[in-house]
Amino acid sequence: MSVALATVVGGLFALGTFLLLRRDLVRVVWGVSVLSQAANVYLISMGGVQPGTHDTVPVLDAHGGAVPETTDPLVQALVLTAIVISFGTTAFALVLTYRAYQENETMDVQEWR
Amino acid sequence: MAPELAIVVTAVVLPFVASGVAPLVYRLAGDYTGYFGAVVALTCFGLVGTQLGSRGAVALPWVPSMDVALRFYVDGWAVLFALLASGIGALVFTYSASYMHDERSLARYYATLLAFMGSILGVAFAADLVVVFLFWELTSLCSFVLIGHHTEDRESRYAARMAMVVTVGSGLFLLVGVVLLAIAAGDALGATTFDLAAMLADTDAMRATLRESGLFVPALAAFAVAAGAKSAQVPLHFWLPNAMAAPTPVSAFLHSATMVKVGVYFVGRLRPLFGGPEWTLLFATVGLATMTVGAMLAVVATDVKELLAYSTASHLGLMVAGFGFGTVYGSEAGVFHLLNHALFKAALFLVAGIVAHEVGTRRVDALSGLWRDLPVTAAVTAVAALSMAGFPPFNGFYSKELLFEATYEAAHAAGGLAWLYPAVAVFASVFTVLYSLRFLGIFLGERPAAVASVHRPSLALVVPPAVLALGTVAISASPQLAVDTVVQRGVAATSAGRPEVHVEFPTHVSPPVVMSAITIGVGLAGYAVYDRVRTAVAALADAASFAHPNLWYDRLLLGVEAASPRVARTVHNGRLRTYVTWVVATASALALFGYATTSGLAPGVESTRITAAMGLVLVVAVVAAVAVVIAPSHVVGVLALSILGFMVAIFYILASAPDLALTQLVVETLVLLIFLLVLERMPAFYGDLRPRVVARDAALSAVVGATAFLTVVLSIPDAGADPTAIARFYATEAVPSGGGTNIVNVILVDFRGFDTLGELFVVAIAAMSIVVLIEMRDRGETQ
Repeated sequence: MSVALATVVGGLFALGTFLLLRRDLVRVVWGVSVLSQAANVYLISMGGVQPGTHDTVPVLDAHGGAVPETTDPLVQALVLTAIVISFGTTAFALVLTYRAYQENETMDVQEWR
Repeated sequence: MAPELAIVVTAVVLPFVASGVAPLVYRLAGDYTGYFGAVVALTCFGLVGTQLGSRGAVALPWVPSMDVALRFYVDGWAVLFALLASGIGALVFTYSASYMHDERSLARYYATLLAFMGSILGVAFAADLVVVFLFWELTSLCSFVLIGHHTEDRESRYAARMAMVVTVGSGLFLLVGVVLLAIAAGDALGATTFDLAAMLADTDAMRATLRESGLFVPALAAFAVAAGAKSAQVPLHFWLPNAMAAPTPVSAFLHSATMVKVGVYFVGRLRPLFGGPEWTLLFATVGLATMTVGAMLAVVATDVKELLAYSTASHLGLMVAGFGFGTVYGSEAGVFHLLNHALFKAALFLVAGIVAHEVGTRRVDALSGLWRDLPVTAAVTAVAALSMAGFPPFNGFYSKELLFEATYEAAHAAGGLAWLYPAVAVFASVFTVLYSLRFLGIFLGERPAAVASVHRPSLALVVPPAVLALGTVAISASPQLAVDTVVQRGVAATSAGRPEVHVEFPTHVSPPVVMSAITIGVGLAGYAVYDRVRTAVAALADAASFAHPNLWYDRLLLGVEAASPRVARTVHNGRLRTYVTWVVATASALALFGYATTSGLAPGVESTRITAAMGLVLVVAVVAAVAVVIAPSHVVGVLALSILGFMVAIFYILASAPDLALTQLVVETLVLLIFLLVLERMPAFYGDLRPRVVARDAALSAVVGATAFLTVVLSIPDAGADPTAIARFYATEAVPSGGGTNIVNVILVDFRGFDTLGELFVVAIAAMSIVVLIEMRDRGETQ
């Protein structure tokens, strides 16, 4: 099934890139957003995707005792950071779009030069 | 005797430390900073001197995982070069104190000169190829700053840039050679290492591996370009005469005695490793060609410093040619002439500085009869110039005899075309005699009326060249003593065996003696008709001007200057889609190229267990993404984008990542709100979709998607693969070290707490920027 996962990631990357190339600046921001979702899914798949069970979730039972083989917690920490950062950048990019529209009175990136 | 790590490191580091404090010293001491530099140089000289006779490697670890270390190798060759650099350094600093006293930016001058001396000592001792490269490029950088000392002078800037382009650019060839050697060492010595000393200790294995892998000639060629450019060998000699735009002490120090010899030094270093027929063909030919071209151009030169610059190139050619020959005479010629040339050429440059300083002109034709006004300088010049010409009994004579001997032996052994070697050596040496006598001629005869008054040079100007001349006289008087003290060990380090060196005044007729006799005889005869020789050579040089590398350098730079804006207009034209196209196309191409050339990449074995629920969620996510692309209005697009985000959140839940899901849900909700708030204030611009543009964009997107697809397929971990050591560490240490059961949270707030702090700063800065963008529009400078 890794091919299925790969197809999803590849498809999201393709759609995101297509959005990045649009003239409408809002769509460019969407493209950035789609790309970061795709990148996050890709990162998670690098840790090995496993259906959630009692053992695979990286939350331990209690203090002490044996540590089960969980999914990769480091990847999850990375992606968590990435989600928050991409929130910041998306919000910033969006407001930048708004301001750019105020200054230029158009949202067409082709007209800016 | 094993070398002392502390002493060697101190000798290399001290000049850099002194360089750091030099601006401060200059503020306090003014012109006396020169003497401060001289004391530093003398200290280094003393420290290096204590290592005379020791042999071995010392190391400070630097990047142990790559086996890179601050490794220093001490042997006769390194000590000889370091002694020359620090000894002449001391004299040049003394000289500078007087010569440079009314110049500007002296703090920078002294700091750079000190850093340069440290770099040269570094090159001399470095035994790690990475460290060699580092110091090698540092010498080029210092040279750039020093040549461009007169920053307001156009010619000076041109010369500095040229030296930079040629020597730093060729340094990249050194890097290529270093990497090739390190790769070969991986097979030959069992481990990839940059340790030159280890390679030199097992030259047979290294040579065999290099030959087998076919890297021998490429590595040799890379080192030859690097050394040739640094040591001004034909056809890369053209930067050296231009470098004479530097102040004279710099010319004497960098561009005659030390930096230009780095190439020669390294050629000697590598001689035991690469010696062979290709080596001889390459270096003997290039060296003798440089010797001839340099000597002939020196005869044409009209400026005293230009004459000396071409002569330096010529003598560097002599040393390179010497090392090129496989016989022991060859390395004797190279090592001994390195010493002799440093002494007499530095002296002559300092003399040229005195003449320019006290008489006010450097034109060869305008100068003569200076011996009355500058008697000591004249005596110094006589010794140095006759040594340069190779007149017996001066030391230059002995090293030139050794070269003659080496060329003769090579010709005798190979026969045929190899007889050109001795013939060319004699031919070039005739011109050496001519220009040496011409230089001496500025002190002989009567003073022309045009030269009005000659000042008396101060003591600090006269003593340094006099010391160098005394050194020349001492070696001339007892060449065997110099050979036993320093040269013998240098020859041993640059040869395969342990040869014995004997130098004595010839008492019977032998081929080299005959060659010397011809050289001197024809040279003296030619001096009688110097002007006609000069006219003839000048005509020849004019006829060959189309081949002058300086011309090609200028054309190349002009071409680059014209091409750069064109490239910039294509890649950097101010349109967002152009940037995106170039960036994603390049990234995809590089990634695909990497996959295509990397062997052993195979799709991961079925590892990911994706349940039906996961599959459904992911399909909905992709459908939502498609909906974003084809959304007819902004609001529809934002809602579709939200569906995508929430689907990914559910995927996280199913894929054992509950924390991610929580975060994603919160973030998606916020993003949706922000989007709706902003879109309310913006018009609905959708842009018209033209079929051709859509087709092009779709093709590019497909390439990116395919790259991402391949990346996932190739890099996904195998089924049942053990968790990485890092993952395991965090899982087992979460409770004992972090005191928490949620491993992801413990990583974020405990193990990598500072990373999270940085992340918070990013969000905070984004928030502040948003406030500024929205609220401060009417307060600022935008109108």
